[in-house]
Amino acid sequence: MAQRARKKPDKSFIFRDVVTVVKTTGLKASTLDELREGIAAVSEESIFHHTYQYFAKGHVQEYTNDFAQWAAESLEERALAEYLANIDSFSFKSTDALRKELLRVVDDYREKFPAPRPVLPGAEFYFSEAVSFVFAAGVRAKNLAEFLTAIKFIDASSIYYHYYEARVRLRKEQDDFSKWIAEVVKNQELADCVRSIDPFMHNLEGVRTHLAEMLEDGLRKEMEIIE
Amino acid sequence: MITQYAGIAPNRDLLLLKQLGKKLRGRSFLHVNSTREGGGVAEILQRMIPLIQSLDIDARWEVIQGDARFYDTTKKVHNALQGNPEAITEKMWKHYLEVNRANAQKLDLGADAVLIHDPQPAPLVSFRKRGKWFWRCHIDMSNPYPDVFKQIEAHCKKYLAAIFSVARFTRAISTTEYIIAPSIDPLSEKNRELSEHEIREVAERLGIPGDRPILLQVSRFDRFKDPIGVINAYKIVKKYNDCILVLAGSPATDDPEGAEVLEEVRSYAADDPDIHILLLPPFSDRDVNALQRMATVVLQKSVKEGFGLTVSEAMWKGKPFIGGAVGGIPLQVAHGVTGFLVHSVDGAAFRIRQYLNNPEMARRMGEAGREYVRNSFLITRQARDYLSLWFAETHRQKGPVHELF
Repeated sequence: MAQRARKKPDKSFIFRDVVTVVKTTGLKASTLDELREGIAAVSEESIFHHTYQYFAKGHVQEYTNDFAQWAAESLEERALAEYLANIDSFSFKSTDALRKELLRVVDDYREKFPAPRPVLPGAEFYFSEAVSFVFAAGVRAKNLAEFLTAIKFIDASSIYYHYYEARVRLRKEQDDFSKWIAEVVKNQELADCVRSIDPFMHNLEGVRTHLAEMLEDGLRKEMEIIE
Repeated sequence: MITQYAGIAPNRDLLLLKQLGKKLRGRSFLHVNSTREGGGVAEILQRMIPLIQSLDIDARWEVIQGDARFYDTTKKVHNALQGNPEAITEKMWKHYLEVNRANAQKLDLGADAVLIHDPQPAPLVSFRKRGKWFWRCHIDMSNPYPDVFKQIEAHCKKYLAAIFSVARFTRAISTTEYIIAPSIDPLSEKNRELSEHEIREVAERLGIPGDRPILLQVSRFDRFKDPIGVINAYKIVKKYNDCILVLAGSPATDDPEGAEVLEEVRSYAADDPDIHILLLPPFSDRDVNALQRMATVVLQKSVKEGFGLTVSEAMWKGKPFIGGAVGGIPLQVAHGVTGFLVHSVDGAAFRIRQYLNNPEMARRMGEAGREYVRNSFLITRQARDYLSLWFAETHRQKGPVHELF
């Protein structure tokens, strides 16, 4: 009896997009003490929103999370902003661990420096959360060349989902792109290169540019014949 | 209709709209407000209803009817929710409820999702028969007059959720609160692309010379928009750069102070031939569009503001923008990236001079502003958010992530 050919699993990279709708928590802060209380009390979703989801905005601002941005712009405590901005949110195993680090930095600052004045009315920090919608971007890549083409035109929110949010989803200091390049394309060197882009130092378009350059370089190496 | 936005709005918004359209196909979505024309809410609904209908969702728009007493009360409610002390008597509240009851009997309020806009029709929720009801608040309710807030809150907390434009406009109500920014329609008469010929025709008709840089502010003649401050900023700039100033606005029928402020502005401008004060008839959308496109720098130097959609309108045209750091303006302007936020007349003058003397920087910031509006403040994003919210509240689940693939 003829054996029916088993269908090969589809190993294409399927691009997804994510959008969010923001919800308020009802908590706001107009002083550093109130910010601390808020960070200690709000849901994990709120900490997630103000740190990881910060990058989904396109990262047009100076710092790397909403707490740091507020400390600099509204509280006018630039040193605190620097400490908060330097927290590597992707290095924590859980959002609660990140919360503890945020509190440690704020507490440390409160011990060393006099209490800052309250912010001006209208410049309070509003703790929010977000509801996310993840959906198919309608693009798939079967090989590295198609992947490169897709990277050049997919929506920036897709880069956020696969390059930033994936690090939290996978919890392995890994992103969807480098995982696929290592496991499906079997190009560990290129995967390592992709993973090495510093997510804090670029906006989404900057990450796109770097990805495209690395992929182009990887493809060129694959195509070259050296006899 | 959604295909008309391809290549203009971000693809992700169009994709999500289509996917949510498939999930909500055949269901009904009712919007209720208090006016069919005039004002930002009506303007956006005129465009959004056909957009949602094109997804095979039965979108409808109903308008409540009231008499002069009703509108007098709701005007006071509107002002009180924005902080003005207003005396509203028991009799007035009773009439407010009676008008809503009469509208509830007359209107077809049966729908799978119902979005009630602003305080005028807020009591309709008491006559809900079915569906998910949301209250959409377009005003800044952060510091309301307490007596009036208490009365309105009693209605608002009956809704499944309340939706505000900006986090700082919210006031804790015992229901879920979402933040959804308003939007502009890139295909409307006010925002569509115009030809050089169309722009020139408007400039000639309105008597605006094209030989020098044009500074523009489009807004009602209202002290909160600080037209006198704009003239003062222009006067400082004029010492360094030859330019002309255009202040354009339409008369607001609900604002008795408008004529008085206009007179003040005219008298302050005196006989400076380079200050053009234009009182445009209502619905001069194409003229506003052309003025924004011919401008070199656009200002919205408000000292108090709601969301301020004229900001997004100007930025959509790629114009270097300067706004007062109030209301919803900072949400639309990332200072130093998509425009400048200012706190004084001197600040406005300084930033105008920076733009006029650094055209490359002005161009770069204008482009960044347009891209920011494209991503954040187009009608497709707002429609997407409304449908997302409806979907999320219909499919309540554990955790904040909805996977639609």
